[in-house]
Amino acid sequence: MNADILVTVFGSALLILGAAVITSAAVGLVKLPDLYTRTSAVGTAAGLGVALIITGVVVLDFSVLNLIKGLIAIVAQLLTSSIGSFALARAGYLTGSRPVSTTVPDELAESAAHNTLGRSGEDTVHKGQAD
Amino acid sequence: MIPDIVAAIVLGLLAIAVVLAVVRVAMGPTAGDSAVAADLIFFAFIGIVAVFGLQFSIDAVIDIILIAAVLGFLSILSLARLLQGGQR
Repeated sequence: MNADILVTVFGSALLILGAAVITSAAVGLVKLPDLYTRTSAVGTAAGLGVALIITGVVVLDFSVLNLIKGLIAIVAQLLTSSIGSFALARAGYLTGSRPVSTTVPDELAESAAHNTLGRSGEDTVHKGQAD
Repeated sequence: MIPDIVAAIVLGLLAIAVVLAVVRVAMGPTAGDSAVAADLIFFAFIGIVAVFGLQFSIDAVIDIILIAAVLGFLSILSLARLLQGGQR
């Protein structure tokens, strides 16, 4: 009886904490200034929030099979939410979504410019050898 | 299975999250912002399904969450491909 109450309190706390983390991600989604910070908020906070909710469900509805399924789901969630955020931020960058003006080092643009320079430099070297 | 007050709190928080994300979908200056908000709505929906499954003692709730967690990222990957016009 006592252990039952403890399990219910612990599982309920995990559920509420997970929902609060997802809600904080939603607040960030509205308040943050550009696509990349919003993607960061959703990718980290929502992945963590879903992992907490899954943990709460496993605690509240415990069996060995549920524990295995829950662990698989948590690992998959933590791995794939970051992949989704990365792909979405990359797509946004490639389609010209500008970062907010306070973003100081734009390393992707710098490395893209560097790659173009390096490639044209190689071309001239190759042309010179052919001549 | 879980106390009613806990279900009400969790559903209320997730409902606030979904409403804020819908606001971002409506406001979003680019299609990418709407896609991020859609991703968050999906995550909140996993939580809503979990609470309803626990409240009505549905045995398959952990299976539903497992499938959603494993396959859910495909939707956001396809949205990212769509933004790029099908190019890599």
